Amino acid sequence: MNLKRKLMAVAIGAGLAPVFVVALPAATASAHGYISSPPSRQANCARGAVANCGPIIYEPQSVEGPKGLRSCNAGLSQFAVLADESRAWPKASVGGTVTFNWVLTAQHATSTWEYYIGGTRIAVFDDGGRTPGASVSHTVNLGGRTGTQKLLAIWNISNTANAFYSCVDLQVGGGGTTNPPTTPPPTTTPPPTTTPPTQPPAGGTWAAGKSYAVGSQVTYGGSTYKCLQAHTSITGWEPSSTPALWQKL
Amino acid sequence: MKRALLVLTAGLLLLAGCGTDPAPAPATGAPLTPAAASTSAEFNSADVMFLQMMIPHLGQGAEIARLAKDRTAREEVKVLAAAIEVTQVFEADTMSDLLRDWKQPATMDANPDAHAHHGGLPLTSPDTIAMLAAVTDNFETKFLNLLTGHQHNAVEMAKAETAGGANPQVKEMANRIVQSRTAEISQMLAFLGK
Repeated sequence: MNLKRKLMAVAIGAGLAPVFVVALPAATASAHGYISSPPSRQANCARGAVANCGPIIYEPQSVEGPKGLRSCNAGLSQFAVLADESRAWPKASVGGTVTFNWVLTAQHATSTWEYYIGGTRIAVFDDGGRTPGASVSHTVNLGGRTGTQKLLAIWNISNTANAFYSCVDLQVGGGGTTNPPTTPPPTTTPPPTTTPPTQPPAGGTWAAGKSYAVGSQVTYGGSTYKCLQAHTSITGWEPSSTPALWQKL
Repeated sequence: MKRALLVLTAGLLLLAGCGTDPAPAPATGAPLTPAAASTSAEFNSADVMFLQMMIPHLGQGAEIARLAKDRTAREEVKVLAAAIEVTQVFEADTMSDLLRDWKQPATMDANPDAHAHHGGLPLTSPDTIAMLAAVTDNFETKFLNLLTGHQHNAVEMAKAETAGGANPQVKEMANRIVQSRTAEISQMLAFLGK
C-alpha cells in the first residue's frame, strides 16, 4: 500500500480530514559513507587527529554531491576544510598496494567505486546496482607511485544522481613515515546541540578520557560511584546517568 | 479491536510526527535542572517515535557489540564493545519503561513505506549483522566499520529528537546519545586508523 493511501486510511479511521504529506521518493534508509582506513580526511577530522575541522566532525559520512566531481569536499562549503591543502593532513604510511575500508551508514544500491590519483582513475569496482555486504573493502594497486599521494575515492550510488567523496592522504613506500600519532587522540566534547547540555556538577574525580577498571571509585556531583564494567570514559557516560557502568555507593 | 486502536494510535502519532511544521525552537540559554526531568512531564509524537525507533536500534547495536566477545580483536576494542553492549541494553530498558508509563505502543510501524518521507527506517539490516557474524578474516576491521555506521544512525535519530521532542528527560537522553556515540565513533576511527 503506498504512503498516501496509508495516511488516508489512518486519517479517515480517526475521523479527521485527510492531510497529505509530501512523500519523498526514497524508499530505503538514506545511505552515507566514507573511508575509515587508511583514514580519509573526514575520518581524521572525526577522530580528532586534525583540529578545527568544523561541522564535518559530526558527519564524516555526509560528503555527498553530484556524480562526476573531483573535489575532496564534494563542493560543499560547510566542508571546505577537506579541500584545504594547507592543513597538516596526517599521511598513512602504505606500500604499493593498499586496502581501503569504508564505513557505510546503510547498504545502498551501488553502481561503481572509483579511485583516483591526480585526475587519473587507478581503480574501479563495478557493483552493477547491487547492495554492499556487511563490509566494503577494496585492494588498490597504486601503479608504482611513491612518496606523498592524495587519493580521491568515490562511491557512486546506483539509483540517485549522487556520490560520496573521500580523500585519503598517503605516504607510499617508507622513508620518513608521517603516521598519525599512535596514542589515542583526546576525546573531543561536541558543542551543544539544539538542546543545551546539562551543566556538569562542579567537583568530583570523574573525567572523560580515562581508563577505569572494575572496582575503581570516583566522585561525581557529590556522590561516590564504583565502576561495574571496565571502560574508557566518554562524555555521555557520566556516572550519574550510566548505572550500567557505575554503581552509586 | 484493542489492537486496531493501538495501530490507529501509532498511525496517528506517525502522521502527526512526520511531515508537519517543525516544532518551535526550544528555549536557549536555560540549562536543564534535574527537577525538570520528570517522567510525568509532557511528551509529543516526536518523543514517542524516537523511543520506538531507538529501542530496536539499541538492541541491534548491543547484538553487533556482542559479536566481538569471542572473536579475534584487540583488547581495547573488546572493552569498548562490552561497555557499549551494557549501556545500550540499559538505555533500551529505560526507553521501554517510558513508553509503558505513557501508555504508548512499544513498537513502531515496521512498514518501510511509512517512513519513506524521512529516508526510511535507519535500522541496520539483520542480514548484514548475520554476514558480519559469519566473516572468517579481518573481523575487527569489519566489526568496527559496521558498528561505526550503526552509531552514526543513532546520532542522526538523537539529533532529530533534540530538535523536535518535547519531553525534557527524553531530550536529555538524546543529547547524551549524541555525545556518547560521537565519542565512540571517534574512538573506533582511531582504532581503525592504527
